[in-house]
Amino acid sequence: MRFEIKAATGVTHLAIEGELDAVSVSELRPDLEKLVKGRPTVVEVDLSSLRMVDSSGIGALVSLYKRVRAQGGSVVIKGLRDQPLAIFRLLRLDRVMLGADTRSPPPAHKQSKSRH
Amino acid sequence: MQVVSAVGEAFNNIVLHGYANRRVQAREQIGSVDLRIQTRRGHIRIELRDWGSGFDPTTVPPPAFDTLPESGLGLFIMQSFMEMAYRPGRPNLLTLSKRYVERSSAVRKSEGAT
Repeated sequence: MRFEIKAATGVTHLAIEGELDAVSVSELRPDLEKLVKGRPTVVEVDLSSLRMVDSSGIGALVSLYKRVRAQGGSVVIKGLRDQPLAIFRLLRLDRVMLGADTRSPPPAHKQSKSRH
Repeated sequence: MQVVSAVGEAFNNIVLHGYANRRVQAREQIGSVDLRIQTRRGHIRIELRDWGSGFDPTTVPPPAFDTLPESGLGLFIMQSFMEMAYRPGRPNLLTLSKRYVERSSAVRKSEGAT
């Protein structure tokens, strides 16, 4: 697991790559702690290169989300796919925590037919 | 993907909870996990044996999703992705099993339908 935190004006960027699990999350937690203590306004979390996440990794992300929100900030999670996205959907986190691009699709509607 | 996720959660549960109270004096005393995998056509069965503290899965409440829980999710992931059975004892035995459609037979069926 690799991660990078960059603080820019108004937005703090957090990118996590690889596998975020019960072992690797311990490397991330101290930096998440510092991030939260900085009272960020917006945290943008890029998970497009995250291959696997387990319940411990989810716990760390949910904790970040709740604590930043409790301070009046917001957290935007982007780029989820494959196994991490399946876990988010299983745990119903997509409804609350995800941007519109990775939420569960709405119920199927009749598709309009295009005519050429 | 589902099997890897479920087995990972099972293993973590043993290490983090089953062996949580072990005194770590020497590497050999941390605890061991015996993992057995059986596969036959369209079915996988994985057994994990450990000698740590057992638990009763029926007493673990499901996650309260409305509160955005940060813990207690591992058992739910296991049970959602695979059939799970648990027998506490010496050793504790956790069995995860799953049926799946083999790629080759799925392709054959698909080809046969066309």
